[in-house]
Amino acid sequence: MSEHTLHVKVVTPNGIIFDYETASLVVLDTTNGSEGIMANHAPIIAAMQVSEVKVVDEESSFEEIITISGGFAEFSENTLTVVSDSAERAQDIDVKRAQEAKERAEKHIAASDTDDVVRAQAALMRAVNRIHAVTGSK
Amino acid sequence: MAASLQDIQRRIASTSKTRQITSAMQMVSTAKLSQIQRHGGSYTVYSDALHDVVAHLATAHINNVKGTLLEQRRVTKVGFLVISSDRGLVGGYNSTLLKEVMAEITRRQLTTDQVVILAVGGNGADFFKKRGFDVAYEYRGVSDVPTFDEVREIVQMATTMYDNEVFDELNVAYQHYVSRISNEVHLEKMLPVSTDDLVESKDETKFTADYEMEPSAEQILSIVLPQYAESLVYGTILDAKTAEHAASANAMSSATDNAKEIIDSLGLKYNRARQSAITTEITEITGGMAALN
Repeated sequence: MSEHTLHVKVVTPNGIIFDYETASLVVLDTTNGSEGIMANHAPIIAAMQVSEVKVVDEESSFEEIITISGGFAEFSENTLTVVSDSAERAQDIDVKRAQEAKERAEKHIAASDTDDVVRAQAALMRAVNRIHAVTGSK
Repeated sequence: MAASLQDIQRRIASTSKTRQITSAMQMVSTAKLSQIQRHGGSYTVYSDALHDVVAHLATAHINNVKGTLLEQRRVTKVGFLVISSDRGLVGGYNSTLLKEVMAEITRRQLTTDQVVILAVGGNGADFFKKRGFDVAYEYRGVSDVPTFDEVREIVQMATTMYDNEVFDELNVAYQHYVSRISNEVHLEKMLPVSTDDLVESKDETKFTADYEMEPSAEQILSIVLPQYAESLVYGTILDAKTAEHAASANAMSSATDNAKEIIDSLGLKYNRARQSAITTEITEITGGMAALN
């Protein structure tokens, strides 16, 4: 590992979804707004939104987007660990399924059967997030 | 004598069919066991990462625990999350577990209305319903290798109930997988999250760093703690399921052994009966010859 890169791991209950050793920049969407992490950043723990994590490696012009459903990120000793209860790499996302999930969630919200709304809204956010990661539009 | 010979033959045939079934079931359970063990390995990475951060946060900010899952409330109702199996044919897996839970309830002198049962698995649900306990939640049909998404419902139900003060303490009772041949009943207090457990961080050196917190440590704690509780419950369900497969493989392997023993002894019986039939026949023939002479 060179001095100007950092190690990124995305960890979920189903194992390590993504592991990249030589990233030059990672962009996180924390609850406080966007945050870029580069090598030798100060140790940080940040709460994450249902959002995308962008991993960039300039040297080999590599770029990857991973969607996560909340959780948190922890950075120390040049290793960034994103811990979330689910995560998907953009290339693995099934847009059609996400679209269906989005429509389902919208229907639930429209029907607004009380306590289901919160869950439906969360589902909608996840679906929109996943669609966005692939197509770039919300 | 001839009828008995046929009887024995029939019994041998039926026992060997049973043995075939039990040995197939043993193989299936063993396959499921290795499958879930592989999955458990990848889960450990997640739970360790979570544990380390929670441990760090909790030890550094132990004073601000009000309103979080760390807060100790006065206990008026005790919740038990009992993880049993849906199916039978798992040996003493369910009975030892349920016995242990009943013993705990008696030991703490809890009446039926002080206890709230959350049952994962049909055996536990039926057991406590029959005895008049309040089964607030039951979940049947956990798959052989449960995924986090599947278990999320159970987990969220448990933490929501705790937040709504349906119970003030949550214990989880499950069979812990020790090895392929033995399980152990574990009864653990899961909520409120015990700070003692957290202090035993697995990696002491890693979390001495001074972190920037974004947003505040309290807010992060309030996000991370439920996630941690969820991960704990998921971990125990995985553990229990592993133990179930092991117990099932075990029960089926001893059933297969027993069937083999029965077949052996029946074979001996069959040969004896056959021999004595032949002896009788010879005696009859020689008797007949003697009469002719």
